[in-house]
Amino acid sequence: MSPAIRDTREIIRDEQVMRAPILEALAAGPRTIPEIAQALGKPTHEVVFWVMGLRKYGWVSEIKEVGDDGYFRYQAVPRQS
Amino acid sequence: MKYDALVVGSGIGGMESALKLGDMGYRVLVVEKEPSVGGKMILLSKVFPTLDCASCISTPKMAATIHHPNVTVLTYAEVHGIRGDGNGGYHASIRQKPKYVDEAACTGCRQCEMACTVAVPDEFNADLVSRRAAFIAFPQAVPKKAVIERAGVSPCTGACPAGIKAHGYVARVRAGQYEEAFDLVLETTPLVGSLGRACYAPCEEQCTRGQLEGPLPIRRLKRFIADRHYGRAGRTAIPRPQPNGKRVAVVGSGPAGLTAAWLLARQGYGVKIFEAAAQPGGMLRLGIPAYRLPNEVVDDDIATVTAIGVEIAVNTRVQDVARLKAEGFDAVLLATGTHRAVRLRVPGEDLDGVRSALAFLADVKLGHAVNLAGKRVLVIGGGNVAMDAARTARRLGAGSVELASLETREQMPAHDWEVEEALAEGITLRNGWGVHRLGGDGRVRSAELKACTAVFDAAGRFAPRYDEGKRTTLACDAVIVAAGMSADTEAFGLPTNGNRTLKADAGTLQTAAPYVFAAGDVVTGPTMITTAVGQGRRAAFMIDRFLQGLALDPSLLEAPLPVVDQAAVLRRQRVYDRRVPLAPGHAMSAPPTGFAETETTMTEEEAHLASARCLDCGVCSECHACVDACPAGAIHLDMRGRDVEVDVNAVVLATGFTLFPADAKPEYGYGRFRNVITGMQMDRLLAPTRPFNAVVRPGDGKVPDRIAYVMCTGSRDAQVGNPLCSRICCMYSIKHNQLIMGALPLADVTVHYMDIRAVGKGYDEFYQQAKDMGARFIKGRVAGITEKKDGNLVLRYEDIEGDGGIVEAEYDLVVLAVGVQPNPGVARLFADGSLALDDYAWVGEADEDLDPGRTNLPGVFVAGTASGAKDIPDSILHAGAAVAQAAAHIERSRAAAAPARAAAEPRVQVTA
Repeated sequence: MSPAIRDTREIIRDEQVMRAPILEALAAGPRTIPEIAQALGKPTHEVVFWVMGLRKYGWVSEIKEVGDDGYFRYQAVPRQS
Repeated sequence: MKYDALVVGSGIGGMESALKLGDMGYRVLVVEKEPSVGGKMILLSKVFPTLDCASCISTPKMAATIHHPNVTVLTYAEVHGIRGDGNGGYHASIRQKPKYVDEAACTGCRQCEMACTVAVPDEFNADLVSRRAAFIAFPQAVPKKAVIERAGVSPCTGACPAGIKAHGYVARVRAGQYEEAFDLVLETTPLVGSLGRACYAPCEEQCTRGQLEGPLPIRRLKRFIADRHYGRAGRTAIPRPQPNGKRVAVVGSGPAGLTAAWLLARQGYGVKIFEAAAQPGGMLRLGIPAYRLPNEVVDDDIATVTAIGVEIAVNTRVQDVARLKAEGFDAVLLATGTHRAVRLRVPGEDLDGVRSALAFLADVKLGHAVNLAGKRVLVIGGGNVAMDAARTARRLGAGSVELASLETREQMPAHDWEVEEALAEGITLRNGWGVHRLGGDGRVRSAELKACTAVFDAAGRFAPRYDEGKRTTLACDAVIVAAGMSADTEAFGLPTNGNRTLKADAGTLQTAAPYVFAAGDVVTGPTMITTAVGQGRRAAFMIDRFLQGLALDPSLLEAPLPVVDQAAVLRRQRVYDRRVPLAPGHAMSAPPTGFAETETTMTEEEAHLASARCLDCGVCSECHACVDACPAGAIHLDMRGRDVEVDVNAVVLATGFTLFPADAKPEYGYGRFRNVITGMQMDRLLAPTRPFNAVVRPGDGKVPDRIAYVMCTGSRDAQVGNPLCSRICCMYSIKHNQLIMGALPLADVTVHYMDIRAVGKGYDEFYQQAKDMGARFIKGRVAGITEKKDGNLVLRYEDIEGDGGIVEAEYDLVVLAVGVQPNPGVARLFADGSLALDDYAWVGEADEDLDPGRTNLPGVFVAGTASGAKDIPDSILHAGAAVAQAAAHIERSRAAAAPARAAAEPRVQVTA
């Protein structure tokens, strides 16, 4: 799954630059972590860090119901520019 | 300061100790290294075996500790040393780290945190998610106040002579906040565009990333934000400040003058710049060729200055400073630069075709006719001005350009990259030659050079020596002399130095006339643009204080922190991505075809990629996003730490434990397999304030169906040097089992154990209850874990209770029930090494059966898990035992010190 795991600090540092691409990926509607990862071409475990960080700071939120595939879907939170 | 007791640490043991001592009437000082009291307990989901909410139990104690009338709490503080005072008491040295937040003003609204541009791992969520450099530790933090984490000044920022927050604008670019990045530079100087092109970028020389694959292109990022700002239609107008009624005259419109004028005008001063040349900008306008700095960019920067009301009078040479005072200016800044060319003082220097580089560059930059087409040009000098002159001559169509310098190639004062670019443009270097004389018949035709054997004397002073017998003659049609620049200061009537620069106090920039300040090259001699900008900034600061009648204290301009240790920065990560630096944006050609810029601006994608390489050396980037966002004005990045010295009668060590680093058992794959987590991480996932929205796998966000626990990870394990049982792992794992089965009713939970130790009131019943709920318990230590492509994990173990043999079982998520370890820092609190530890490095107790809590040092006691693994109830009991002994010790001390007073001295009693 993760042959070349990057340092956690390095992954988390990228959250700031990954915010715009993730929000762009969610523009068309809610997506699961693997779907976002596929859209970005990034590893799923790194996307978990970024999506959960964005969730913590109010950029994304989850759809409450978990899907049949066992994944939650995440959506962009509308913000005032 | 004097206290009865010092409690080190504010976990449950520390809080309990402080509260009990406080209730007895003793004055207690609690020192906690984190921004909040509460220790590890507040981070737990629930407590066993009652499944009470950990927050619900902890927060009242946290609040009581902070608000107790007899208890003083220092959070974000560290005890640096404790030593006996010779009278049975102790003296403690404490460092209160700066929080950079005014706690009285902070409302805990988290706006700073939401705005912060630096993301770091959140240690309070076991590194499962990010937090910000500006942060409140966790939602139940007490005190609920923000803290800004600063490890020091980032090396890039620390290297900038102008004081520009380089790390800050890089962080702003990384966050996509380009206008805010531009505004951040404006806090220091209006010359964003000019510096983005022409600065020599000392920041990049100090960039820590330079020790990996290469530094960030920090200067080009500044150019990016400037180009983006100036290229935008309908720029936001900069608001004009309210006039404060005072006027300042600035003489000279170079980098120092423009910067000072801008900063003073922003504070409401009426500023007028007097410029001797026909156009403002000083060396930016006249000295730097257009292929490096186009006039349009200088115009844009100057328009920023005039937009807030600064007047600029060109063609106005000031020679009488006193007259400015008479005209109503309250202060004067002299920032006239070094525009006088140094002469060679050789025969033939006055021939036609010989001119100074300064005049030559100014003529070309101002568009005056200069014809060098097809001519043989000789440039004299080895500095950056010489390079600019040579490259400019090349662009004017010179047939050949040779550059003669006294220095060897390695000694040349010009920047290496500038020399490389000159060579790439077809300029020939003649190193180690000085001019003997220039020859010609009214017009220069040749230059006779003599070999230079040494440029500097033994003291490092410029004192060239020559081999007079070694000569060479070059034919030439034009000679451009770049032998140096000096200041033109005679008219001011102020004391000068030997090189004609003005005498001004290095810290305050005040001259002999108190209302006259001087800044930039006219004080320092020729330097870099950024140095002149820094001088302008300093002058503005000092003039403002002068006009307010405040003391001119240079220390106020110093950073509150030293530059961060780069080796320490690099130690923060075990591995680094190799991130290929952006290729230089230069288009070199020989011969160059014109004065078009040689460097292109970055694309937005390039700016993102470049800024993402930043290591956030100082942690906080000083981007000022928090300052802008804070509605209470509570952020003060100039705050400084303070040292606190206290005398105490007794010390209670409640420094707790550390968790076993799970990656020290590599066979379990922690750190390599993302779906292998620790017990503390699962506690966070189960807590109401969890980092994720639910219990999902960190590897891919999937809700796990099959979860395994591996017990005794790092405890009861001689291989890792810890034969002791950690006492809490069995029970917290069983607690997790029950909580998981509540949160994920369809999940299967399996516990791989050696034996279950459920010793305590209700513990075994709790264990049986988990089994009844469906948790499986399999006896046998897990030998290893492997990861499948889908992130699932295969555990390999010997089935010693079932059918026997080696079994492999697949799970979605594996939780390592990590044990506890002694806190390694506690022994270092006593610099003399006098505190005794036990055989396993826990704080030693003189007799843990009969005298728990007492250490080998009279008056020093240990509470809670600092002396060994304990669950929460035992920690509280142990703290009680330690406190009872501490109270007795305090009473004995008092009686010994003043028997009569001790008997009579009332204590503040607190009743429930």
